[in-house]
Amino acid sequence: MPPVLEVKDLTVRFNGNLALDRISFTIEKEAIIAVIGPNGSGKTTLLKAILGLVPCQGQVRLFSRPLRQVLPQVGYVPQRFAFDSSFPLTVEEFINLTCRTPEKLPLHGVLDEVGMTEFKGKLIGELSGGQLQRVLLAHALLHRPRILFLDEATSGIDIEGQSDFYSTIQRLNREHGVTVMMVSHEISMVYKFTDRIICLNRDLVSHGETRIALTAEVLKKLYGDNADLKSHDHDAHAGHAEPHA
Amino acid sequence: MTPTPGMRSPMPDLLLLPFMQRAILAGLVLGLLLSYLGIFVTLRKMAFFSDGIAHAALAGAAIGLLTRFSPLLSALAFSMLLAALVYWLEKKSSLSSDAIIGIMFTSGMALGVVLISLRPGYQPELISYLFGNILAIRRVDLALIIVLAAVILAFIFSHKRKLTLLALDREMACMAGINPDLYELLLYIMLSCALVLGIRILGVILVSAILIIPVSTARLLSRSFKTLTWLTVLIAEFTVMAGLVLSYFLDLPTGAVIVLTGSTIFSLAFLAAALRKRSLRLAGGGHGKQGRSE
Repeated sequence: MPPVLEVKDLTVRFNGNLALDRISFTIEKEAIIAVIGPNGSGKTTLLKAILGLVPCQGQVRLFSRPLRQVLPQVGYVPQRFAFDSSFPLTVEEFINLTCRTPEKLPLHGVLDEVGMTEFKGKLIGELSGGQLQRVLLAHALLHRPRILFLDEATSGIDIEGQSDFYSTIQRLNREHGVTVMMVSHEISMVYKFTDRIICLNRDLVSHGETRIALTAEVLKKLYGDNADLKSHDHDAHAGHAEPHA
Repeated sequence: MTPTPGMRSPMPDLLLLPFMQRAILAGLVLGLLLSYLGIFVTLRKMAFFSDGIAHAALAGAAIGLLTRFSPLLSALAFSMLLAALVYWLEKKSSLSSDAIIGIMFTSGMALGVVLISLRPGYQPELISYLFGNILAIRRVDLALIIVLAAVILAFIFSHKRKLTLLALDREMACMAGINPDLYELLLYIMLSCALVLGIRILGVILVSAILIIPVSTARLLSRSFKTLTWLTVLIAEFTVMAGLVLSYFLDLPTGAVIVLTGSTIFSLAFLAAALRKRSLRLAGGGHGKQGRSE
């Protein structure tokens, strides 16, 4: 079976400065993949380059095709939704903005899926951080994507909210076969919810199955000696670790 | 004005005056066009762009006056070119958008003043372009306003969803398959075109008011985008009509009275929203934004 996502020699420069250096990897169908790395390591840039949101060199193919041809099959939840929060736009109106034919799309289905049906008449600006991320997720799910990109979608949300969010993602992956690629700083959540991992620091430091690729050595390479490493309680393999705040 | 028994109301007479009929029609069309565009202008925080283009349009009008070509058409062409230039510089240079607009705005206005000063004698047109003169709208101007407004409104209505999503978040618009560069350029050009048409009512100095004030008032009172859209247009139309009638009876400059009518309505809405917010807080029944209408 061909990979869902193929990235080959992806390079991004901003004003001549190298942000990503010849990144290559593939992602298989129905996987949950995390992209981790320190600040400025190019995690968000990688996602944006894959999605055509920043100029890049190299090759990106989704479902064996160029991105433009498969755009409706791609969902994206951004890191920040920096809009004017005093603007009167309801959850329902916001989600309908991406529909050419709103009546034909499963608005209530996607809101129900993320547990936000009762908030459909509420203003976007009045939602909490966690609720807003759920609405953004519903927005991304509206066209029933086959692959979902999440860019630090849980930053600024409390631990309980994060756990709920990741559980929803896991359920979407299991029940609907959605492939998920997420940028995250929450290594414990990554360890718990993802199958595969891409460790980035402008170039590819390590990638593979989460529990094999995410070693204490890799974490130290990414985050330096300041990362407080401790053996994972439920990990049978020696040397596998996660950083704690 | 309330007519006393046995006295005819002056309103019907007023409506029979051809210049007033043209002014009312132009006011209604431009009120709809500018206030509707104002929704996107405030959402994208483009108020300075609007102000800048309107001011710089004076140079275009001056070129028309000097060459004895239509000042309105030359201002339209000049402003659309300027909007495209601002857009291009925003993309290609490292200067901030504010700096680019600031340079264009002051240079265009200065060029306009210099060009107008090249004509000998007193220049009444300068005052007309600075502060507007809705009562002096000619048939040919009205026809141009109606045709261009219809084209711009047709485009905005048919692309409302895309323009709103782009104004909210550029990346989301890209992911929805929208070409952001194309739609931004079109919005810049249509906005500059609408502003120049609006100069006939309010002049280069005051025209931004009808873009900003009605939508700002409506935002205080709305709890959905749909309500906001309707309220914005209704407030704009009422403001223009009330300002027109008041200025006629009070014998005051029309553009200025329209702007003051709008700012008075905004002040009342602001006060009402604040009082409602306070009473809800005192009642312990919710927070401030619940004071808006559904």
